[in-house]
Amino acid sequence: MRRVRRTQVATAVMVYVILLLGLQLFLLAVAAEAFLASEPGLAWGATAISTVLAAGTVGFYLYFRRA
Amino acid sequence: MSETPIWRRDFPYTSAGEEGVTRREFTRFLMAASVAAAGSGGLMAIWAQLRPINTGEARPVAELAEIPIGGSHLFQYPTDRDPAILLRLAEDEMVAFSQKCTHLGCVVFWNPEDTVLECPCHEGFFNLEGRPIAGPPERPLGRIELEVRDGTVWALGAREGMT
Repeated sequence: MRRVRRTQVATAVMVYVILLLGLQLFLLAVAAEAFLASEPGLAWGATAISTVLAAGTVGFYLYFRRA
Repeated sequence: MSETPIWRRDFPYTSAGEEGVTRREFTRFLMAASVAAAGSGGLMAIWAQLRPINTGEARPVAELAEIPIGGSHLFQYPTDRDPAILLRLAEDEMVAFSQKCTHLGCVVFWNPEDTVLECPCHEGFFNLEGRPIAGPPERPLGRIELEVRDGTVWALGAREGMT
């Protein structure tokens, strides 16, 4: 039972992390576009959100390791 | 006696990691990619913040008499590697833009019939203010300030979208 739950947690964490990474790739494209347009403000905004998402990814991974 | 699969007998080679990647390893890889994505965005933001933008220095680019009304003149500005285009719209009305399309950097050309600047690569169109009006470009062309001094057209500097 515990093994099944652990597998479910692993899969759920993996799906969450994939979703967050997808959002980050979009934000990376936004930052690249801002870079080409010489708009550092937009690049900083995209980076800030991306950093929060990266922190979420790390958090999920740490939870996964403890579970 | 252990059962060895037939394919293993036919192909008795092994390599590290062939047992497959565990969920934990895959998630760790995703986490590293996530951190790398955030870091890449940060590097681009820092680069965009710090890089100097060459707006150019004032210099003559053409003789006014050589440009017919409704015609165009090609020149390089602010450096010799930056193609630019000057349009003479009326007797005393001129505009100049960077020729680099803001989509993927192709060279735009003047279409006098439709009075638009056109990018042939992906059908991007810009109006006489350099604003995108159709196609994939979303940012305006880099604009170059002009002034006529004793019959000579001078470029004074570039702004908006010049990188």
